[in-house]
Amino acid sequence: MKLSVENGSFYYKKSVSVFENINFEVKEGEILAILGPNGAGKTTMLRCITGMLKWKTGKSLMDNEDIASMQPRKLWSKMAYVPQAKSVSSAYTALEMVLLGRSSHLNVFESPGQKDVDKALEVMRFLEIAHLADKKCSEVSGGELQMILIARALASEPKVLVLDEPESNLDFKNQLVVLNAMSNLAAHGMTCIFNTHYPAHALQRAQKSLILSKGGAYVFGDTVSVVTETNIRRAFGVDAIIGEIETPGNLLRNVVPINIVAEEKKEPLKHVDSDEQPDKTADRRCIAAMTIIANNNEMADKINGLLHEYNALLIGRMGMPYRECGLYIINVTLDGKENQILELSHKLGILPGISVKTTFAKGDFDGRGEKQLDESENHSKIE
Amino acid sequence: MTSAVRIGKLNLGWKIVLVILPFVTALIALGIGRYFITPAGVLDAILGHFTGSYTVSDMAYKTVWNLRIPRILLALLVGAGLSTAGCAFQSLFANPLATPDTLGVASGASFGAALGILLGFDLFGMQTTSFLMGALAVALTWLGGSGKGRGLSSVVLSGIMMGSLFNALISLVKYLADAETQLPAITYWLMGGLNSAGYRSLLFGAPPIIFGIFILFCMRWRMNLLPLSEDESRSSGVNIYVLRAVTIICATVITASCVSMCGQVGWVGLLIPHMCRMKFGSNHISLIPASISFGATFMVLVDTAARTMTASEIPVSILTAIIGAPFFIILMRKSGGWQL
Repeated sequence: MKLSVENGSFYYKKSVSVFENINFEVKEGEILAILGPNGAGKTTMLRCITGMLKWKTGKSLMDNEDIASMQPRKLWSKMAYVPQAKSVSSAYTALEMVLLGRSSHLNVFESPGQKDVDKALEVMRFLEIAHLADKKCSEVSGGELQMILIARALASEPKVLVLDEPESNLDFKNQLVVLNAMSNLAAHGMTCIFNTHYPAHALQRAQKSLILSKGGAYVFGDTVSVVTETNIRRAFGVDAIIGEIETPGNLLRNVVPINIVAEEKKEPLKHVDSDEQPDKTADRRCIAAMTIIANNNEMADKINGLLHEYNALLIGRMGMPYRECGLYIINVTLDGKENQILELSHKLGILPGISVKTTFAKGDFDGRGEKQLDESENHSKIE
Repeated sequence: MTSAVRIGKLNLGWKIVLVILPFVTALIALGIGRYFITPAGVLDAILGHFTGSYTVSDMAYKTVWNLRIPRILLALLVGAGLSTAGCAFQSLFANPLATPDTLGVASGASFGAALGILLGFDLFGMQTTSFLMGALAVALTWLGGSGKGRGLSSVVLSGIMMGSLFNALISLVKYLADAETQLPAITYWLMGGLNSAGYRSLLFGAPPIIFGIFILFCMRWRMNLLPLSEDESRSSGVNIYVLRAVTIICATVITASCVSMCGQVGWVGLLIPHMCRMKFGSNHISLIPASISFGATFMVLVDTAARTMTASEIPVSILTAIIGAPFFIILMRKSGGWQL
């Protein structure tokens, strides 16, 4: 389900606007990361998106239906909200807690039946927390509690999942557990929106990113073109380096903060497609070869969809299933602007169970030769 | 473990115990007093009313029907009502210290009763002013504390203010009251006691209690949403404001009616729900039935003690505290504390 915000503005006091004229859109199965310094209004943004706070102007749309005009019961059977795990203190067992997610499916005087219990246990098994079912929420660890809250949200069978800093206050392992759960859900068609303090998590997980800054300026777009050193410096007031770490399967991006920008050198956050082009080199023409290995067939549609979306870059494509090992290997040759190639590589890389690496040809290709169109596309799709 | 029990529902054994316990206690309590009647005799006298023939003495028959049944019915209702209302308020405010009086309803109702005595109303008139003042106190609390962007804690604060305002008004009434006749009556009434019980007062006082308990009982699963934070409960798709309003109205109606009949009976609304939480957990599916049953049973026991221990009657709120507080502390230490 597609979720979008049109011309959203919000303020608590009329003279101090929190957001002004915000527009963005997340498609089905995409993850949107919302970044921003403390006090920029990340949580306020989530509350506005979900309709818990009313936009002063503008609206949130779910598949083009205005959320403000939807019945709460209908809205919350399609959307689910996962609060920060620290705000919960109740002695319900995990299963009782997850069952509360069924509320929108039950009437006032009804209590959950076998069908609801089965659904609750099913989502708990999916998130691999079935063993916690009879434990009290007040006695589990922070990571486990966060997973229980995600399970409660999933129990309502939503199409859009909104998470408020799901990986805050968690250790490395639990961060991965929570983020992997989110990636898996998105890969199965869930639209996810999450707040985070970690730009690296946006780079490693989210197709789209929204950076907010104090004062209402914002940047929205594909994560690789939004989460940049320039935007981090402007929004957070921190000089940071985005580095790439090569693993056997992927190229991971990480963000390391270096130092605090001096007060007099601070500059405001600007929209990416405004007058100034921050990085000329990203626009140059590149030739690259990309190798994609998928370890299951589930992602085939996603991969095909993305390759179709970036069809204009493709000059060659070869797909090969290696059924004995359950692998699908695709090689594509690309000719186009560097940032577009990086975008595609990034979007493929954040899908669960997929390895992607891109090799760029050396040399300068601007103005050299006409691009060859790919004619082999139809018969190289993986099935 | 069956899945019904896993999600907090009571098993059959507990269901039977919870239903039978108050009635068995009531049956035994009906026989206890200055004039002792065996449980069999009590049963005979009760059934005799419907069949027209009984083997117990006329004295026993009259004692059971005219004196003890209204009083024990009142005890059952007040006990069940106050503990359900207490339980509802604790969950609503996510605060283990909440009692039926948190929003000032008991202070308001006490003021109403004191005013009734001052103005020389009969029992029925006093009961009516008391009930109305209780409702008024909560309405004022709500007007003062609720509002856009304010959490429930400002309602609680407003309730404390309203409680002290009405307590001051009670003092004012006492100050104005005739020191020979009215002042002792007011003071004694405020201590709480079930000795005013009668069919006429029950006729007016019981329906609101039964109504409130019934509604809370029916929506008990949904009450599980009450202790959650505002955003969480709103995102369940349930209209949380309506749920809160219904809970407050039910608990207020119950408490106002209880206080209007028997004064301020403290402790029950705090003790019983917590004892039930320790035993049955926080799931209202089992917590509400348990609170109703144990509240009713506890009140009958305490009231029976109040009217039999000494020649003259001990005010019941003194006993609830004397019996309840140590028992509660023992239970708390044994079970390792409480949680909502």
